[in-house]
Amino acid sequence: MRANVVRAGVAVAVVAVIIAAALVISRAIKNSRDAAPSLASALIIRIAEHRQPRIDALNKLIPGIEKRLGVSIEVVEYPAPEKDYLSKLLTELAAGNAPDLFTANFDSDVPDMVSAGYLARITTEVKAWDGFAQLFDVAKKLSTSADGQIYALDSMLLVQQLYFRRDLLDKAGISTAQPANWKELLDRAREIKAKTGKYALLLPAGISWGPGAFNEGFALFVPGSKTPQIVDEAGTLNLNGAGVRDIFGLYKSLIDEGLMPIDPLLGPEPWIIPKYTMFPAGDLMATTCGTWCYIYDWGKDSKNPVPDVTRNVGTWAVPGMDGGSSVTISGSNIWAVNANSAHLDLAKKVLLALCSVDATVAYAELVGNIPARRDAADDKNFQALTELVPVLKNVDNGTFLKSSPGYSVVSEGVARATEALLRKQTDAAGAQAILVKYVKDLLGDNVVK
Amino acid sequence: MTYETRMAWQNRMLLVPAFVLLACFILIPAGAAIFISFTNDALNGFAAAHPQFVGLKNYVRLFSDQGFWNSLLVTLVFVFGSSVVGQFVLGLAAALALSRPIALKPVFNAAILLPNAVPEVVAGFIWISMLAGGKYSTLSRIVGLFGFAPQNWLDFAPLLMIIVVNTWRGIAFAMILMTSGLSAVPAEVYEAARMDGATARQIFWRITLPLLRPTIFLYMLVSTAGTIAIFGLIYTLTRGGPGGATEIIGIYIYNQSFSAYQLGYGSAVAVIVLGASIAIGAIYVRVLKVQV
Repeated sequence: MRANVVRAGVAVAVVAVIIAAALVISRAIKNSRDAAPSLASALIIRIAEHRQPRIDALNKLIPGIEKRLGVSIEVVEYPAPEKDYLSKLLTELAAGNAPDLFTANFDSDVPDMVSAGYLARITTEVKAWDGFAQLFDVAKKLSTSADGQIYALDSMLLVQQLYFRRDLLDKAGISTAQPANWKELLDRAREIKAKTGKYALLLPAGISWGPGAFNEGFALFVPGSKTPQIVDEAGTLNLNGAGVRDIFGLYKSLIDEGLMPIDPLLGPEPWIIPKYTMFPAGDLMATTCGTWCYIYDWGKDSKNPVPDVTRNVGTWAVPGMDGGSSVTISGSNIWAVNANSAHLDLAKKVLLALCSVDATVAYAELVGNIPARRDAADDKNFQALTELVPVLKNVDNGTFLKSSPGYSVVSEGVARATEALLRKQTDAAGAQAILVKYVKDLLGDNVVK
Repeated sequence: MTYETRMAWQNRMLLVPAFVLLACFILIPAGAAIFISFTNDALNGFAAAHPQFVGLKNYVRLFSDQGFWNSLLVTLVFVFGSSVVGQFVLGLAAALALSRPIALKPVFNAAILLPNAVPEVVAGFIWISMLAGGKYSTLSRIVGLFGFAPQNWLDFAPLLMIIVVNTWRGIAFAMILMTSGLSAVPAEVYEAARMDGATARQIFWRITLPLLRPTIFLYMLVSTAGTIAIFGLIYTLTRGGPGGATEIIGIYIYNQSFSAYQLGYGSAVAVIVLGASIAIGAIYVRVLKVQV
């Protein structure tokens, strides 16, 4: 009897010690976010970068920055897919051992990273920087958080709209004129399917596409919908609006009528088959995309290029539901400094160097996005990028979506809702309900209008 | 202190290094997961900086989450298909075949063991080239020789494909265990059976299989727990897609924790899986009265 009591006591003590240790370790991990400096040793700035063209662009810039600022820079290569990149980065930021400098994939990632306390404030440095006056207004607005501070600087811009195979539509006798509204866009898609038998239009969708399902698809149709901004002035998310449901309705029509490829979007790396194989082969006639498609996806740096890409691939602005049109501008190469960096001041200087004309043009050459500053237009190397020059001149005409804390949850919610549409499990109202429920589950009822 | 007490303490002290390792790498992380599962902790957003205690909210949400139930079903089919049926049947067949004196025995042995030597992610990429890419995939080219239409196999029959791949990878382990079990069966028993006129089938069903029972259940225990925990192979191949068709529970936990950044919810799922794994182990060990 006594032995049993002793054994039970020992067992209880062991369990108590384990739970206590777990609590202490869990708390220590949390505290390390605030207390632990980054692993950088003296005067070494570690920069996280991903995707080979971007890494190549960064490596090209490093010698000049090292010489100018008297610093050593170490590039830490991260996984290429945006989702894997962000997962690894956030895990390291949470653990307190992330690099000094890194980029957010999309503007929608920034508010939540700010809320998490991962990003150092750079307002003073950016506003005192000589490049600030050269930034496009849209870049300034995208870089400024709801509290009026700057935590991440959009050094490049994604200019997104609809890209279509002009050569193949002309050949099939299909109009290539700008669709006036969503109805015309759908009718055009139906005509393409009927006359060519090919898929008409791709909108990124589904969980595998990650944040692109929102940022490269859904978000492009928001400005022309009845809910032109998802975030209102109070920071509430207007997800129950008719505009959100109408956009899901557009997806639903494209999916149910077989106008959009579905199977590749349900697999891993869903962009590869439709964008890199089907579009160049003429099996897909139109897709949402950005200027990078003229360089990277189907242009000079593509493994599967479309010949004479700027002539054979045309662009339509994204039509509004009932008229009007928009070209969506969002940030890229959104540089931020780790709030736990051991060399905060130096990291901020390197950040500004990465937003110089030379740096942004180097990225433009290899990645195909647009520098966020006006004076890049005068750069000799940029002028050689004839695909991008006219776009840079029209950046100020673009529209953009405001972000707010919780936006990364909206992004994931849209991915889940469009996944249900792809799997034909729901209709537009059901997809909207999935989005709203997901966001409410994670952020609380009050966040959704 | 009596001799027995001293010996008992000495034995306990010998277990200390093992216990420390177990505590550091299994028990404390499990304790941390249990703690986090009662919070709204996240990798991003306000909750990352200020996690709150939410009680059983994550568990309540979990039971109404279709994705969770889907992943449990997928896990069940995957474990049964690849571990219980595929690996066990083929591993036992290989062990029986290779227990006989046959030509090129070392070559067959090596061929069966080879998949286990390939790292999980590398194996995944090898199989992607076999199965993905529609008409360009190796398997489509092979079936094309026989007049069959090419398929994107990871979309056409995704769960079957990952069962096949995991079976391929796990046969060696089953074969090694079964071989050791077979070698423990006394030759005299077979000899006596043959003298009594037993056929090969009777010998297999009445002697080999019953005497292998402890080995089989040990294999089932280890293999089931191992298969539930598989991650890299499936993440490389399908990431749980298409549309959740191969989202086994490990992938589901990853997706919740590191794609949706909900550490609290992901931990709640992990805690449920931990409980299920312990229950399965207990069933094998206790109900079936296996000595391990």
